[in-house]
Amino acid sequence: MNPRSILKEWGVKDARVIDKKAISEITLGASILATGGGGDPEIGLLWTYKVLDEGKEILMVDAASVPDDIQTASAACLGAAIVLTEKPPSHTVLNLAIRKLETYLGRPIQATIPIECGGVNSPVAYAAAGEFGVPVIDVDGMNRAFPELQMTSWVTHGVHASPTVSVDDRHNVTVIDTGDDDVLAETLARRAAMAYGGISWVATYPLTGSQVKETSIIGSQSIAWAVGRAVMRARRDHLDPIAELLCSLKEERGVEGYRVFRGKIVDIRRDFGSETNKGFTLGSIVMEGIDHDRGRTASLDFQNEWLNLRVDDDILCLPPDLIAILDSETGEPIRTDIMKYGYRGTVVLIPAHERMRTPKGIEMFGPRHFGYDLDYVPVEELNRS
Amino acid sequence: MKESFRVGFDVGGTFTDGVLMHGREVVAKAKSLTTSDVTGGIVNALDEILAKSQLDASRVTMVSLGTTHTTNAIIERRNLNRVGIFRLGAPATTAIPPLTGWPEDLKTAIGGPDVIHVVRGGSEYDGRDIVPLDKKAIETACRAMKGKVDAVAITGVFSPIISDHEERAAAIVRDILGSNIHVTLSHRIATISLLERENSTILNAAVISVMQRAVQSLKTAAAERGISAPLFIVQNDGSVMSADYAVDYPIFTVASGPAASVRGAVYLSGIDNGVVADIGGTSTDVAYIVNGFPRESSITVNIGGVKTNIRCPDLLSIALGGGTIVKHDGDNVTSLGPESVGYNLVRLATSFGGPLLTVHDAAVAVGELNAKLDVFATDFVTAPDKVKALPKRLVENAWEAIRRTVEEAVDKMKTTAEPVPAIFIGGGALVVPKTRISGVTEVLTPEHFEVGGAVGTTIAEIGAYAEGVVDLDYEARDAAIARVTEAAKDNAESAGAVRGSVEVIDVEEIPFTYMPGKREKIRIRVKGKVRQ
Repeated sequence: MNPRSILKEWGVKDARVIDKKAISEITLGASILATGGGGDPEIGLLWTYKVLDEGKEILMVDAASVPDDIQTASAACLGAAIVLTEKPPSHTVLNLAIRKLETYLGRPIQATIPIECGGVNSPVAYAAAGEFGVPVIDVDGMNRAFPELQMTSWVTHGVHASPTVSVDDRHNVTVIDTGDDDVLAETLARRAAMAYGGISWVATYPLTGSQVKETSIIGSQSIAWAVGRAVMRARRDHLDPIAELLCSLKEERGVEGYRVFRGKIVDIRRDFGSETNKGFTLGSIVMEGIDHDRGRTASLDFQNEWLNLRVDDDILCLPPDLIAILDSETGEPIRTDIMKYGYRGTVVLIPAHERMRTPKGIEMFGPRHFGYDLDYVPVEELNRS
Repeated sequence: MKESFRVGFDVGGTFTDGVLMHGREVVAKAKSLTTSDVTGGIVNALDEILAKSQLDASRVTMVSLGTTHTTNAIIERRNLNRVGIFRLGAPATTAIPPLTGWPEDLKTAIGGPDVIHVVRGGSEYDGRDIVPLDKKAIETACRAMKGKVDAVAITGVFSPIISDHEERAAAIVRDILGSNIHVTLSHRIATISLLERENSTILNAAVISVMQRAVQSLKTAAAERGISAPLFIVQNDGSVMSADYAVDYPIFTVASGPAASVRGAVYLSGIDNGVVADIGGTSTDVAYIVNGFPRESSITVNIGGVKTNIRCPDLLSIALGGGTIVKHDGDNVTSLGPESVGYNLVRLATSFGGPLLTVHDAAVAVGELNAKLDVFATDFVTAPDKVKALPKRLVENAWEAIRRTVEEAVDKMKTTAEPVPAIFIGGGALVVPKTRISGVTEVLTPEHFEVGGAVGTTIAEIGAYAEGVVDLDYEARDAAIARVTEAAKDNAESAGAVRGSVEVIDVEEIPFTYMPGKREKIRIRVKGKVRQ
């Protein structure tokens, strides 16, 4: 297959060509929107470069132009970030996962849909699309990264992760079909990843074209792309990357982001995970203000991704709104898995996409889901000056 | 302690500094121009300090070097080995083959695509084999490589935890290609992150011969002058390792210049925690020292276009040095640099009758710089009237701009809000303000600051580290830390440290995110006194 013949079949004329520059911009933007999580972008990026170097074409299309009855799915990595960093995948895993899902469904996958904005899972959707010769749809399920499989706009708008196929480099295959129980799908998928050696590759969220249009974050890829492009331009032209980022959000999404704090990490407290707290790294950091924020103290909690932000006695951000800590000079995101004492950065807050802010969304991934005895208050209200 | 005479060299972009130390005392110092072969500049500095001190060369007990040999070889793609590359990781890892993302000219310079092999093998994080090691594939590849490679780099998945597959592969390589072939094993280069570690391992194999020649020529030069003392090389973290070890791990020396400066500043000032600024002619490197060592960089380090995860100091480089041009519009300063007059200070700067206002001139005008340093050939000012004629407001504004720039750089590197001491060293230390810098308790310019880097190379501390992944459900935390500490001490001892003197300087724990259970990575850094 090749993506152009699929688009011709659909009668779609407009598609964006994803070249190396484009994917590097999208990956950077997605890493920033990954709110401290999402894994090491280098692996997804190099993989996509390799697919392009093999002469394969990667095309992205708008959700609106996708026929209602086509079959799509998400190809993604699920497991321990540090294992991925040390053990990049076989070039065959995405193909295997997708083919097994196609067999289980009894129909071919005709487009990929990125599951989240993350350093690994954004570019992986493009690498997969390039390998199979199908287009990528300009959507995702979060417009940020979240720690668990079921934390998507897809689930909160009534569609499901099942069936999900989980594979490893040795071609072990696990089929997870839990019907409408998406939390159980997450539990089983995580156990499979552990048994494989810490990392799994999944083909998940088999959605039809109409489901994609009704339940996704529409234009999520364009948002990540605009953010990444703005930060790269800032680096090249020696502009302030944070200002350029905020400006790009306003242009692309029409929302105001907030530059709320500049500081350095002076304490990292990690509460080591156990079965009872769902198997995630929990912890908190303290940042001391520098420059204009001298004398102020910020604290942030994280569950793989940043969860909330408190500056002195004020809560400034709650999930699902986004928190990014960015290197003030380069705009590079500081990730929870690799941060260290002394890291310096600027804290930026971004309103979550409206499709992540529905009552069902606040219930599934709002403050109370993460154990805070607090009602969700939008970041815009918390930062009203 | 018995009488100790130590010779140290710091090779910078412009000058090669040399010192002769007797205990804590600097007996002689020299600055010679850095030569393109690097070794020539070192030999000139050596001859100068031997002549100045009139020391019987046979009494030298230690020779140490901070060097740019390896960096230059990689950046200039010169004199690199052809490297046979093995990755032990298939069927995993094949999505991203070795050398992905490398510049084409560098790929060609180290031997091209025919000698790259991804074979079945490697470990899982818990120590299981991914698959058994494919010995046959390694044997076949080695036979095909004969005569086509000078060195071999072997990288196995999770080898920092389980090195078994790398060791077995190395035995096969030596068996077929002979025991003289250079073999670099990635677990000796360390840290988890396969692609960056593999890159570092391949670069290491590529520059082994360059380092061997540098060490050999310095050894020969020293021997010809009657010096029989052991030779040490500064590592990126500012500690030293024996030259015989550096020959096997030259990649650890790529940032040795700035790292040596930090160590020199610590040694000369006696301060273990604070900010160090090494001020040169064109730029200033600012580092933060914790317990006597520079804090390491948070970001992957790019060498010659290749991403690596080698240990490097966290440096902030700013365009501020003695030669930095002060741009102004009337009496108002519009910017400091980034351009510098560099070598041409004595032709272009106001103090020497030239047309440009530089940081050096501002320092002369306010009276901060008022004496000649004996290691420099030229006096600090030859046209005092020109300096006196500078508008007073302009000089004040320039001095304030310089102060603010220094203050911002110092503040960015600090990790605590408490004021800390700052140490200024390097040839340009005299041209910047030392007072009214907020966040700083005091600014020290210890004696011999102008050759601080060379002094730093003579410090007898061996640095080493070790890492391990532990599961705290099965191993007590204290026991796990003790186990990794022993491994770090083993590494320090094999690098030349006295085991009894080795102490822990940093303990770092990194939990595995996205994983149930209590697995974590423990990383321990140690240092110990050199075995003499």
